[in-house]
Amino acid sequence: MSKIVILGAGIAGHTAASHLRRKLGKEHEVLVVSPNSNYQWVPSNIWVGVGRMKPKEVIFPLEPLYKKKGIGYKQAKAVSFHPEGDMQENTPYVIAEYVVGENKGKQEKIIYDYLINATGPRLAFDQTEGLNPGENNMYSVCTYGHAEHAAQGLKELEDKLKNSDKKLKILIGTGHPKATCQGAAFEYILNVENELRRKGLRDKTEITWISNEYDLGDFGMDGMLLSYKGLRMKSSEMVEMVFEDRGIKWILQAGVTKVEPGKVYYETLDGEDKVEEYDFGMLIPAFAGHPFKAYDKNGEDITPKLFRGFMIVDADYSEKPYEKWTVQDWPETYQNPDYPNIYAPGIAFAPPHSISRPRMSKNGTPIFPSPPRTGMPSGITAKLVADNIIDQIKGKKSNIHKGSLGNMGAACIASAGFGLTKGSAVSITTFPIVPDYEKYSKTGGRDIRKTFGEIGLAGHWVKYALHIGFLWKAKMKPFWWLIPE
Amino acid sequence: MSERISKFEKFKMQNPVIQFFKFFFLNFRILNVVAKGHGGTRDKAYKDKR
Ligand SMILES: Cc1cc2nc3c(=O)[nH]c(=O)nc-3n(C[C@H](O)[C@H](O)[C@H](O)COP(=O)(O)OP(=O)(O)OC[C@H]3O[C@@H](n4cnc5c(N)ncnc54)[C@H](O)[C@@H]3O)c2cc1C
Repeated sequence: MSKIVILGAGIAGHTAASHLRRKLGKEHEVLVVSPNSNYQWVPSNIWVGVGRMKPKEVIFPLEPLYKKKGIGYKQAKAVSFHPEGDMQENTPYVIAEYVVGENKGKQEKIIYDYLINATGPRLAFDQTEGLNPGENNMYSVCTYGHAEHAAQGLKELEDKLKNSDKKLKILIGTGHPKATCQGAAFEYILNVENELRRKGLRDKTEITWISNEYDLGDFGMDGMLLSYKGLRMKSSEMVEMVFEDRGIKWILQAGVTKVEPGKVYYETLDGEDKVEEYDFGMLIPAFAGHPFKAYDKNGEDITPKLFRGFMIVDADYSEKPYEKWTVQDWPETYQNPDYPNIYAPGIAFAPPHSISRPRMSKNGTPIFPSPPRTGMPSGITAKLVADNIIDQIKGKKSNIHKGSLGNMGAACIASAGFGLTKGSAVSITTFPIVPDYEKYSKTGGRDIRKTFGEIGLAGHWVKYALHIGFLWKAKMKPFWWLIPE
Repeated sequence: MSERISKFEKFKMQNPVIQFFKFFFLNFRILNVVAKGHGGTRDKAYKDKR
């Protein structure tokens, strides 16, 4: 009998838990430890953030589902890792702290045979002074709660616009010099623009994109060359076309350092300090690792063996210049090299380096996107981790399931507006996610047959179908496993 | 605001009939990218396959 403990019930953790439960006999225990009692389909938060969906449409409670399916659940947060056990017992364990109910604040030792750390990012609003969702007219769409709040803020802005002739400023993008998840901000700016246009308020607003990207369409993936209507076009050109067409201005190479009521302070790659005014803002914060600690059996601090911000896995973390980076640096099994029964899929693993070229400002501030790890790779890496654990439990050859971001495709269906006939999306696929400049040397590191762009209503329907399909899958409804990650 | 996407293009982008067919085509193309498997990059087979 084996016990598999999964920390986190986001896309990665929940995917791993559901596959493990389906494929393993009841003699094996699957236990999920996560502080949020709900599962959320994060990609649809964009629609919550413009008031087109209610939070209840993007979430469902985990406990009843887990009870029905035979998955254990503790509403708690992991605090420390003890991969060798301690002086009393050799069994590895984690310490988790309950976050609700009568046990709130109580810590518990949870032993495991296999541990999956799928705790995603810590939304590090604290790394940018004044950037707090809901304060200073600045919002976030990173969680359904934040997104609901953003929708209220947008509604208030719309009311102001209706009652005055003053032009108001909207600022959307990244809120830290090394922020990631540009795709989410890109979707949000297009949705906000679409909403205002549909309500006849667009002319009264100035909408600006602010980002740490060097070029438009970098998306933390070093941009891409893609095929669009039979032509080869850079993602920067495609995004520029969309922004210009919608009258969206842009500020690039900007590392936001501070937010005050109505003012965003940023440094540029040229080393200049600038200020941008705004009336409504949504800036993505830095994504940081959780402040976990790790100890060996003697109680010595071994945190650096497990974490470098995020969790250390089978990546090549040696320091080397951008020109020397290869896809082989990227992990394949998401297994910790020192403790092979610990894995970290989804956003929880420490990437070897960024994907976009790193750039420093004249003052030495790093201003470039951190690598994004979107929903699709989060699901795929979680499933392959589950499959490798299942193989080990069943005594088969271990770690045959591999999935490097350098040999995996992704689809980014960026919503550009909601509605059965008025919706739209900028759909971009890319293969591989991390460019292999050696293998695809003539096409910007990507397989051009699998890297394409498409704009239009069909993309919105695809994104909506994904919303329905992935919630079906997450709820483990009949034949859920047939839906790919 | 400059009209970078022509009115005719926009019509095609939002026309439900055209987009209905595009929807299936787009799904097919996306599945072709994401559901065709993934793997490692360190083995010889990957490096040899150009
Ligand atoms: C607004 C927005 C829109 C997006 N749109 C898309 C999209 O269209 N397509 C796409 O592919 N990707 C999209 N993404 C990215 C996608 O949501 C992420 O890649 C994905 O959620 C990562 O999954 P994860 O499970 O690794 O992390 P998360 O989803 O962040 O899950 C982490 C889990 O760990 C739990 N946790 C946190 N701390 C602890 C702890 N101490 N102990 C135990 N558990 C803990 C959390 O409660 C949560 O359940 C979007 C992201 C955002 C913010």
